[in-house]
Amino acid sequence: MIGTSIDFSLVDSMKLTWLISGLFIVLIAFLAVFAFIYILPLDLRDRSPIQPISFSHKKHAGDNDIPCLFCHRYAPKSTVAGIPAVADCRACHLFIAQNSPEIKKLMTYWENKQPIPWIRVYGVPDFVYFPHMMHIRAGLDCGTCHGNVAAMERITRSVKIKMGWCLNCHRQHKASIDCWTCHK
Amino acid sequence: MDRRTFLQLGGITAAGALLAGCKSANEKLIPYLVPPDEGVTPGRAEYYASSCRFCPAGCGILVRVSEGRAKKIEGNPLHPVNRGKLCARGQATLQELYHPDRITQPLKRTGARGFGEFKKISWEEGLDLLTSNLKILKQEKAAGSLALLTPELRGTLAELTTRFMRSFGSTQHLSYELLGFDWLRAADRRNFGQAGLPFYDVAETRYLLSFGADIVESYLSPVQYGYAFGRMRQARDTVRGHFTYVGGRMSLTAASADRWMPARPGSEGVLALGMARLILAESLYDKAALAANGLHVEDLLKGLTSYDLPRVAEQTGLSQAAIAEVAREFAMTRPALAMAGEAVAFQSNVSESIQAVQMLNVLVGNLNKPGGIYPDAGSPDGPTNSFDELISLVEKMRGDQIRTVLIYGDPVHTIPQATGLQDALAKVPFLVSFSSLLDDTALMADLVLPDHAALESWGDVIPLAGTREGVIGLMQPVVTPVFDTRQFPEVLMTAANELGGDMKVAFPYPSYLEMLRADVKKHAVVSGSTDFEATWVDLLRKGGIFKPNAGQVNGYKWSGGTKIPEPAKPRFAGSEKEFPLHLSVYPCTAFFDGRGAPLPWLQQLPDPMTTAVWGSWVEINPKTAAELGISFGDLVEVASPQASLRVPAVIFPGIRPDMVAIPLGQGHREMGRYARERGANPLVLLATIIEGSAPQPAWHATRVRVTRISEKGELVTAGHPQGSYRSDLIEI
Repeated sequence: MIGTSIDFSLVDSMKLTWLISGLFIVLIAFLAVFAFIYILPLDLRDRSPIQPISFSHKKHAGDNDIPCLFCHRYAPKSTVAGIPAVADCRACHLFIAQNSPEIKKLMTYWENKQPIPWIRVYGVPDFVYFPHMMHIRAGLDCGTCHGNVAAMERITRSVKIKMGWCLNCHRQHKASIDCWTCHK
Repeated sequence: MDRRTFLQLGGITAAGALLAGCKSANEKLIPYLVPPDEGVTPGRAEYYASSCRFCPAGCGILVRVSEGRAKKIEGNPLHPVNRGKLCARGQATLQELYHPDRITQPLKRTGARGFGEFKKISWEEGLDLLTSNLKILKQEKAAGSLALLTPELRGTLAELTTRFMRSFGSTQHLSYELLGFDWLRAADRRNFGQAGLPFYDVAETRYLLSFGADIVESYLSPVQYGYAFGRMRQARDTVRGHFTYVGGRMSLTAASADRWMPARPGSEGVLALGMARLILAESLYDKAALAANGLHVEDLLKGLTSYDLPRVAEQTGLSQAAIAEVAREFAMTRPALAMAGEAVAFQSNVSESIQAVQMLNVLVGNLNKPGGIYPDAGSPDGPTNSFDELISLVEKMRGDQIRTVLIYGDPVHTIPQATGLQDALAKVPFLVSFSSLLDDTALMADLVLPDHAALESWGDVIPLAGTREGVIGLMQPVVTPVFDTRQFPEVLMTAANELGGDMKVAFPYPSYLEMLRADVKKHAVVSGSTDFEATWVDLLRKGGIFKPNAGQVNGYKWSGGTKIPEPAKPRFAGSEKEFPLHLSVYPCTAFFDGRGAPLPWLQQLPDPMTTAVWGSWVEINPKTAAELGISFGDLVEVASPQASLRVPAVIFPGIRPDMVAIPLGQGHREMGRYARERGANPLVLLATIIEGSAPQPAWHATRVRVTRISEKGELVTAGHPQGSYRSDLIEI
């Protein structure tokens, strides 16, 4: 090939129409995919990040009916709910589903003495004081904020944690809405 | 660029963006590998009472510990010294625990001495090196060639080190530090017949006259004095205590005073005598107190004839009117209190000057009274050594009489080189350091056996003259040790056990903790049926043994004799012609004697007077600076008969024109990334020998010359943010 420039005289009008409509279809397809990702909980970045181990809450909390507080055991007594230590995961999985590839991943973390770098899905900024124990003691269901975790394969944030949302619930339950309640 | 390249590049960019999109920007949520077994609840903090050992003041602290990590230090409200307050240095000790350059395990020197080439070894190997060395000394009947260098110790640590050295058979234990209050102990003994430190009741006084005592920065117990100073000013409805400061440099304390009297260095004693003469001549003294202390007005006045106002004014460089006014105010406001500090102490005429100041207290009758001076502070004082003993140990090292030195602390940096200590140490065949950071001393050592950080240690901290109550503060570990370190007293005990014989008998305890508990048991009152374990836990919760003073006052009297203490003319190292300026080295608010330099919070703490951070500087009066052609931030050379160094200049109106001042604390060769080769150590400038006399610790009696080098001083201050910013956190 001698030159790389396109001789436009060779492109007839029909081919040009094909090209334009082709590009148009591709654009529509892109937009559709984006809309799909946005509407469905497939948001990989923020709301439902891919975790280092594809831990299924559906399997644990749903199919096997393990109570939330079995693993997130600090929720009734601390500001944070806590996530189970690697040793805790291992304690059960020494006997359960040892051969699944994800469990093998877990065991590799354990053998390397590395904690699993889970990616945080729920969190409030530093200027917000959110105590889990007070909400548990008030008898609130975990699902009020965390959604139907028992049905989720991968954990997905089901609410937008904004101040208005907090206030709505506080008003409904006649909880304090003084600034200092949360901003202290 | 042709089309193909363009498309390729476009494709790569798109793929990159897509890949980045898959990776979450959310925070990580890191679980424990193994959950801690001590009932740690994530998100819930525990508070532990302990004691601060940063400076000898020994304040009580509360440490907030969350998830097994120490997070914050505040003052312990129950502690009688600091009553819930704490200084910046105390707060910053948190960073000692998590310092990135801490020594993680024992080190053995591999390269040439002082070059910092070490090999990590195990504790077994390290202890073996230590004990085998000590065994050889014993076998060769050379036990006396073991020396132990420590700062001033009190409590069980003093007891333990003393026992260790005695049972080993060596007398060479030197308990000495640069800013020790040796001189004040000596003055207390001579003037009041009490071998300890006095307690000044600043809170209750109505007129405070400080001769160079920087009470809110570094003097004896700064947090206590800061609190007391606030009470003196504001705690009484109708009285606002008056404060006059005498001293050539305006320190933070001086800046808090109502009147600053920049007397000529070394003339403070003369000033005190001039005031005494005026008080006696005008019959403003306390007649009863004078009689009770065996002093007679006529005799005193006879001895004071030469201290008339014009002469005193001429010698001190102050105005006659000001001296007379302060003397009258001091004598007519009761209670009034005079105290003397380092600026007076580290002069050639220290003994008479301090005595003259203490005599003012007798004249206004404030001995053993609220708002006055109590010659006996409540807490017991440990064994300390004098400067002369330091010099004699240095001589022994030079004469090859010392073969092994165990060093706790960093004397290589904090003892002036003019004492010859550094050169003498270099001649000693075996040096062992117990530093937890590779400081200048550890750098010279053959073996480093790293100590725990303060927050990992057991111990008792007996405060230095900060209260009249009997206090034994307790230190307890608030976190599990971060690294493979061991506590200094524990290592000594292990070595003693290993050496056996008398040494083993001297330590009938399985651990240092047991020794501490046994000692506390002696002092604590075990109430009723409760066993000691319950008392011990209770004491740990409170932070120590606090025995309220039952109000007994020991009636100490003046024992300084009836003769007037006439201070000799102050002598200085360096001729006035060649070295025209007086040098003052002072412990700055951040670093104390240099031990604060590795902590970045303290490096970033602006000096309260000059706002300088991250370095050393020299303070020069604007008049002097103009004469020498020096402007703000210039690099200058400060030369003394001993050495010279280069620092940036701060033009500072709060200093006498014939004086310059450099803060202590910087200029470490090593000591971690934040202190390493930053600023300069002014101690190298100091001389110990003045006009052929015997060496003495006259740290304020060296003369210097200042010359301008260039305009690139690299000084960082709040008002003048030129220079290099050595921290990511400072962006001005």
